Amino acid sequence: MRTEAETRAVLRDWVLKKASGLDPEQLADSTALFEQRYLRSVHLPELLLLLERLRGAPIEVEHLNLDNFGSLDAMVRFVCVPESAP
Amino acid sequence: MSTAETRTDGVTTDDTSAEGPGVPCRLAQIGLRWHATHGQASLFGPLWKLAEECDQAFRRLADVWHAEDESHPAFLSAECIARLDYLRSFPHQATFPVTLDSSEANVEDFLNGPVVDDAGHVAPTRLAPISAVLTPAACYHLYQHHEGERLTRPRYLTTRNTCFRHEESYRPLRRQWSFTMREVVCIGTRAEVGEFLDRARWVVNRFTRLVDLPIAWQQATDPFFQPMRNPKYLMQLVQPVKHEATYGAGLAIASVNLHHDHFGERFDLSRDGKPAYSGCLAFGLERWLFAITDQHGSDPADWPDLVAASRTVVAEASVVRPTVAASGAGRSE
Repeated sequence: MRTEAETRAVLRDWVLKKASGLDPEQLADSTALFEQRYLRSVHLPELLLLLERLRGAPIEVEHLNLDNFGSLDAMVRFVCVPESAP
Repeated sequence: MSTAETRTDGVTTDDTSAEGPGVPCRLAQIGLRWHATHGQASLFGPLWKLAEECDQAFRRLADVWHAEDESHPAFLSAECIARLDYLRSFPHQATFPVTLDSSEANVEDFLNGPVVDDAGHVAPTRLAPISAVLTPAACYHLYQHHEGERLTRPRYLTTRNTCFRHEESYRPLRRQWSFTMREVVCIGTRAEVGEFLDRARWVVNRFTRLVDLPIAWQQATDPFFQPMRNPKYLMQLVQPVKHEATYGAGLAIASVNLHHDHFGERFDLSRDGKPAYSGCLAFGLERWLFAITDQHGSDPADWPDLVAASRTVVAEASVVRPTVAASGAGRSE
């Protein structure tokens, strides 16, 4: 089981690999990744697989929202505290 | 309010007319002929007049943005539709114009056959290659028409077209294979499109209130084929881009849609050097006919003055700032 810091680091590395034009200094934990168009639909299938792996549980349709996916903070919260997922 | 009770999806229980199952008597009596096999409607008399008034009102609402008028044909080229990725997202809804291969021998073979068989199906001989799709959404033509433009200010456009979407089943005025769509489109920066969509929601709210048509806004997604396998559908869940103004139990009569820079990128449309954002306000005209006659009844004397209401909205819009947040709202990712 990864710690929250380790989960955040894995997600941060993945986002920086995928997001075009996003410098590491620009990427804050609260950066709106989809709204700012750093991440797009093409990235979603891989992101879903990654989050399922980190979470150790399948992701349901009702989990797909900005509250769980919108930023690094949101994704870390979703992975580490799955029972609180909206 | 119509007198017959027990609504389900806005359909009253006085529901069957000589026009066949699913055609409310009240509609048949005021100018609807339903072509059930192909999910299409003929309008005449009061209902035809109401349809004309609806579009006049929607067109007037576009004056809120001083939108420029355009009209476009029924076909979209296969090349254009491929750039939109429409056929990969909505193949089940596409309708294609087809012709016989034009060689004389092939056309003669067609004439020597039954032409139309006993089942009522055309009996074609060899067909020519399919190079177009019948318009599925009025606004698609606009992005193609303005391809390559370098905008230095937002551009507002409006257009109306007959749209074609093949469905599993059809219902008069509510779900048709061909229907009429009026759209108002903004092409600009992200902020300009956001402001346009906010104002569009305010316009719909104000207009429906003036004509006494109760609506509720609902987050929606586009009808993708095998949606769970389509990243664009998943994206619409993660980041909603479509909000519908619904009448009754979910009949969408208008929608506001955020396309992000989907069309800007595909059609090389730029605003201040960056791919342009776009968004649209869409009205499904036949659904308005259903909603108005359901709410106000079949007597034209009881129908609201739609054009006067639209004038009021345009006048108010010049002095009112929208307060509704359209947090995104299209077909695209």
